[in-house]
Amino acid sequence: MALVALPIISDDRFLIDRFGRYFLFAIFALSVDLIWGYGGMFTFGHAVFFGGGGYIVGMLTTRGGWFLPVPFWLALAAAVAAAALLALALSYFVFSGKGALRGVEFAVVTLAVAVIAERLANAGGSISGGQNGILMQSRLGVPGVISLHRGYGFYALTGLLLVATYFGLKWFLRTRSGLVLRGVRENEDRIDLLGYEVPLVKRRTFVLSGALAGLAGALFYVHEGIVSPGTVGVGASTLVLLWVVLGGRGTLLGPIIGAILLPHLTASLSGTLLDTWLVVVGVILVAVIVLFPAGIFGFLTRPRKA
Amino acid sequence: MRKRNLWIVVIVLTLIAAACGSDDDASPPSGDPIVIGIIADLTGPFTTYGNSLSRSAELAVKEVNAAGGIDGRPVQVIVEDIQTDVTATVDKARKLVESDDVDVVMGPIGSDANDAAYQTVVQEGGKLLFYTETYEGGKCDPLYFSFGAVPAQQIRPMIPILQDAYGDNVMLFGADYVWPRRSFEIAKPIIADEGGTVVSELYLPLIADDFTELVQEVRDKQPDYIFSLYPALWGAALKALDDAALLDDVGVGTIFLGDPDYLGITDLAENSYTALPYFTAAEGSAAEDFLAAYQAEYGASEFPSGGEGVGAYNAVWMYKEAVEKAGSTDPAAVAEALVGLSFNGPTGKVKMTSSHHLEQTINLVQAQNGEYVLVDSFSNRDPEEACDL
Repeated sequence: MALVALPIISDDRFLIDRFGRYFLFAIFALSVDLIWGYGGMFTFGHAVFFGGGGYIVGMLTTRGGWFLPVPFWLALAAAVAAAALLALALSYFVFSGKGALRGVEFAVVTLAVAVIAERLANAGGSISGGQNGILMQSRLGVPGVISLHRGYGFYALTGLLLVATYFGLKWFLRTRSGLVLRGVRENEDRIDLLGYEVPLVKRRTFVLSGALAGLAGALFYVHEGIVSPGTVGVGASTLVLLWVVLGGRGTLLGPIIGAILLPHLTASLSGTLLDTWLVVVGVILVAVIVLFPAGIFGFLTRPRKA
Repeated sequence: MRKRNLWIVVIVLTLIAAACGSDDDASPPSGDPIVIGIIADLTGPFTTYGNSLSRSAELAVKEVNAAGGIDGRPVQVIVEDIQTDVTATVDKARKLVESDDVDVVMGPIGSDANDAAYQTVVQEGGKLLFYTETYEGGKCDPLYFSFGAVPAQQIRPMIPILQDAYGDNVMLFGADYVWPRRSFEIAKPIIADEGGTVVSELYLPLIADDFTELVQEVRDKQPDYIFSLYPALWGAALKALDDAALLDDVGVGTIFLGDPDYLGITDLAENSYTALPYFTAAEGSAAEDFLAAYQAEYGASEFPSGGEGVGAYNAVWMYKEAVEKAGSTDPAAVAEALVGLSFNGPTGKVKMTSSHHLEQTINLVQAQNGEYVLVDSFSNRDPEEACDL
């Protein structure tokens, strides 16, 4: 609620804009919470979808030849579709048949995917722009009608998208698929034996999660104006896990809190405590995780003893 | 139990609030300050360079303030850590431009971050960007100025000396990004003109975890010397070559290994040559004064690096002179005043050319018995940048 009021309290256009970025981080965190927090699928590679969304938009809107470049909104749709397709292809390999992967095995596969993605982005020459990445000129909004690229417009766009994502996921988790998903987290074998289509539900969830991350990433990197190899790598994939853990895994609201709080803390401190901010952020993180294993949101909503 | 938890929450929240609250530096005592924003990599792989950049700039600002400020106005600095990260660079550059409304932005280190800063500060924000790092050149914009060395300044005078010392066969080894790649494109015709031969050209990731390919390539191609544009992990690369017992047979030349970097790897870097604007071994009282002032400020064991340090120092002083000449902080007016402006800095006279790149003296040193010894000094090198504004 406080965040809705932010534009009223503050007239710092830059701060408003910064929170718009955090809202996209929050959607990214929700996409991870969906598969890890609710489905028990621990991933070390989800930035492949987030950063990948940025790369797809970047390549489709800036590269020439063939049918390129395409208009931004088309590229955005393509980015979401590509992220969903990648998730679908991956889930056929990892969730189906006798060799279905779980737990650590699945995590290792996602880790490998992230490593490969970062190398590809680095080695992609004039297609991916190598180490320097891709500079984008696209603007969010409808040219001549409304600009949603920066400031209040961007805040409204991402805020609405976050709210929609939150309620959408809440709804999804109450559907039959969502219930099976939670069952899988608790005891996959039992749910399987009961006759539920476990691979199908996992696949469906993973595709939904990948598409969400791709959408958020595509919008995020257009807003940044640049996407570079680090954004699809293991580092970026680990960062989102921190947001989820900090806020509280498997709570939806928790990861949103984490994805806003930690980046804001980092951004503020790295301009004020120049020499020590990494240590301070580290200590705060460890303190929160040790003291509130269920995350900030988990702590706030813990069952009270009568 | 509940009470304790409550205390913990209070403490954590207080920490966070305290951290987020104090957003401004202590500003000078009076007047309407001119604000310089600095985006520097104070954490991550480029920490050495980022530190040198921000410290040298802050040193210059301190001196400018002591000398009466700019046009009588005090100068304030806002430093932001961009963490060797492009996304952080965009965020911090936007903060400086939009929220702090600075008059000029200086930094960053990496070429990718420079691209991002250029787009954010110049194209989006319409403000001046002073890039103070050694880089590949090629950027050209009315509001963009480079104070670092560019390839032609370092490479052209250096190649004949390396060939005399080692032989004609060179291996080009670089990190896989635009600075090494474009620099090598500029180096190749120079090497050919001097009668040299490029026997190998190898690129590894900026943060490589394995140097087997480098070792293998040196073994196979037997270059007389390696011309390296591999910053950040150069010590690890040299270590791999040393472990393979190759370092005794191959010479080394670089254009990035300033004093702070070199001091960590003196054994491995023995005999290698480096060309940069500034070294502690550089001649002249101005260079000595700069070092003395730097160490008085930051400690006797601290050294400014070879490119970005002196670049940022020059940039602050030349900004002062340009603003005073223009009589305004308007970006376009300052840019116009800056062109043709000369300044006597730590490395002697430097001059901003009409290509918006700096004409300056480049020094060449060799590592001998654990310290840098001045070999040659290339005076007033033209940046040779084809930028016509």
